[in-house]
Amino acid sequence: MTSWFDHTINGLIIGNIYGLLAVGLALIFGVSRLINFAHGSVYVVGAYVGWVAVSVLHTPFPVTLALVVILAALLGIAIERFGIRPLAGAPRIAPLLATIGLSFVLDQTVQILFSPDPRSVPMQLPNWRLEIGGGSIGMLDLLIGGIGITAAGALFAFLKLTKWGWAVRATALDRDAARVVGVDVDQVNRIVFAIAAALGGVGGVLVGMYYNVITPTMGFEATLKGIVAEVVGGVGNVPGAIVGSLLLGIIESYGVALLGTSYRNLFAFLLLIAILVLRPNGLFASRHQLPPEPMTGTFIAPSKPIGLPVPLLAALAAFAIALPLLIDNGYLIQTLTNAWLYALLGLSLTLVAGTSGQVSLGHAALLAIGGYTSALLAADYGFPVWLTIIAGGLMAAGLGTLLVSPAFRLRGHYVSIATLGIGEIVALVILNWESVTHGPIGVAGIPPLEFFGRPLYDTNAIYWVAFAIMLALALLQVRLLSSHLGRTMRAVRDDDVAARSFGISLNRYKGLAFAFGGFVAGISGAFTAHMYSFINHETFNTHISVLALTIAILGGMGNVGGAILGAVALIGLPEVFRIAAEYRILLYGIALLLLVRFRPQGLLGTV
Amino acid sequence: MTQTPPILELRDVDTFYGPVQAHFGLSLRVERGEIVCLLGGNASGKSTTMKIILGLVKPTAGDVLIDGVSVLGLSTPRIVRLGVGTVPEARRLFGAMSVRENLLMGAFTRNDKAAVAADLERVLALFPRVAERIGQQAGTLSGGEQQMVAMARALMARPRIIIMDEPTMGLSPLWVDRVLSLIRDINGEGVSIFMVEQNANLALQIADRGYVLQTGRVVIEAAAADLLVDTRIRDAYLGGAEAA
Repeated sequence: MTSWFDHTINGLIIGNIYGLLAVGLALIFGVSRLINFAHGSVYVVGAYVGWVAVSVLHTPFPVTLALVVILAALLGIAIERFGIRPLAGAPRIAPLLATIGLSFVLDQTVQILFSPDPRSVPMQLPNWRLEIGGGSIGMLDLLIGGIGITAAGALFAFLKLTKWGWAVRATALDRDAARVVGVDVDQVNRIVFAIAAALGGVGGVLVGMYYNVITPTMGFEATLKGIVAEVVGGVGNVPGAIVGSLLLGIIESYGVALLGTSYRNLFAFLLLIAILVLRPNGLFASRHQLPPEPMTGTFIAPSKPIGLPVPLLAALAAFAIALPLLIDNGYLIQTLTNAWLYALLGLSLTLVAGTSGQVSLGHAALLAIGGYTSALLAADYGFPVWLTIIAGGLMAAGLGTLLVSPAFRLRGHYVSIATLGIGEIVALVILNWESVTHGPIGVAGIPPLEFFGRPLYDTNAIYWVAFAIMLALALLQVRLLSSHLGRTMRAVRDDDVAARSFGISLNRYKGLAFAFGGFVAGISGAFTAHMYSFINHETFNTHISVLALTIAILGGMGNVGGAILGAVALIGLPEVFRIAAEYRILLYGIALLLLVRFRPQGLLGTV
Repeated sequence: MTQTPPILELRDVDTFYGPVQAHFGLSLRVERGEIVCLLGGNASGKSTTMKIILGLVKPTAGDVLIDGVSVLGLSTPRIVRLGVGTVPEARRLFGAMSVRENLLMGAFTRNDKAAVAADLERVLALFPRVAERIGQQAGTLSGGEQQMVAMARALMARPRIIIMDEPTMGLSPLWVDRVLSLIRDINGEGVSIFMVEQNANLALQIADRGYVLQTGRVVIEAAAADLLVDTRIRDAYLGGAEAA
């Protein structure tokens, strides 16, 4: 066993890299009250700029670093100018969604330019190590530590000693007051995004050299780790972000040493949830410090929902049912079957996010719970499939609500972060709980769908069953929304303080929304598992969570018909036009960005 | 002889918040060296008037002029650079920054370091209470002290006019008197004052002229001395008969 000294050094180095990310996130949150989900993408871009510089241009290390700093800073300025500033008057969750869209666009652009294959960043330093006691410190360790300390020192000097540094702090404390003493807050934002992006980009290069591998998909995890570190330190608190990062690095390093690599992220997300629930202002929030602004304001653009006449809806449903008889195109029918399953997910999210106001970023976890429950019960224990699918729905409803219940007390951005973290925890538990879930191998040979004991292989039959389930649950949801339950949930969404003062128990209604939504999503996940016959911990990943959100926004938050339309549009159209997979995620990112910017009420309007 | 234009003038301003109209043809002016007071009850459009002047809200019609030049479309920092200082409602200090840092933030638009340092001395001489607290975090000061810092911060920009939003709000009677006499001192140094107040009785005692705003319209415009004895004002803002 290697010494605790090595684990400590390793933890500090990783913590240093998290710190480069978290400090930027804290600065951005400070001046914009925004959690920047595109931050990890800047880190990816930084890593690839570094790779190009070292492997193609053969620049020496200082030049590499300078190139990364400059290009990443420019990217940060562009993100602020085109992604964030146009949304100045929008609800607070809008820029957050925009940064998710931006992260998809940036990550996929890198992937298209450089291929998804991992690349190695050659280390430009002599491979020299200093032996201390039972452990050792390498040149790169010292370099990363040195850059971290230098960057932190420079940042503090900037904030404490320079005029614009003061402007940044003043803007973070009171944006309007800063404006009336003559601070150009747009310029402050630009400076902050440039600094944050430069630090993030440097983090990308260093991590590339440290692990000797970079991939276009590493950004999302980096964003999450940065956010965890930031939340631990207290959002918007720059010194707190540094301490939080080092703490996270060390906890991860010790955790990995004790339990193995696949547990690394589990520690991070458990820490996140623990902090969010127990000390939402972070470890270092002082007693007299005001809590961060209550970030209410869900993503509801006031609009009149477009009401479709019942005969038209009935005609559309009849057409959907008759479609397999009208055309003989198995591919199209399969695509639409997929669309109905995504529509279920969209229905679930539109209820949770649009009606009770909990913008969930971990919704794919409900699919995973439903899918795994049904798949394992049918494949390992031999229960009939129709029963296991219902069990999947119930499990997703119960377990999903239970898991997310600690987050019920949170609001706004914190709900999104918490659901994201819970979603990741579900995926990590599936990965690590091998005795039950088969771990990384996944579940293979899942029995096919059946209809009262008769296995369903026929594409058209599967299509009809999927459509029938979707239609039934959609009608149920319409019924639910028009009842007093739906009205109460909307009251919770629009003003939870007012709702509470009328005697509404928030937790109960949030719980009901998650339970019904969880059931719908669980059924979708279970159905999908039997249709694919194979699932693993990556089948239902975060991309699907974000896709679900895009579906709900495209259709119009809270709008049942909108969720179905959104699913058909986002799942069906790319298939029909045969868009390759890597461009598809790019497309989803662009769709999300454009929607948030130009049509926040979606196609059919919010309810 | 050409007449000097008023330092601040609003001409026929209409303002909307979405479908709600906040101002209806609002016109008012502040001449050089004057203290002008804007009176009005809740939701009369007083604070919106402040935001219009500072460019934080754009009017849908009408014009805002400083020294006779339109400032419509200018950003807030540009307007501040023209010599408009602000004491915002509820003071709005940078709570986690020191008093010194707050004061120097007031001079953010200026680049003349030596003159800023000299002005800091001058302002501290005017506000000895602030000088005592110079190293303290602004958020830890009492309400009256914070009001002093807010006024001192506004002075640091070397403004020619200071816009004050309810400078006596939430202060004890003792501090109200101090603040009003300081406003008079500041005005004595040649700085024009435009203040919004609910505390009409006291504000009118130091003001030259006053406007009364009611649901977005100026309903009375008169010299402060006349307003003090105007029965309509007494009934509406001075507590009616009891004030007499």
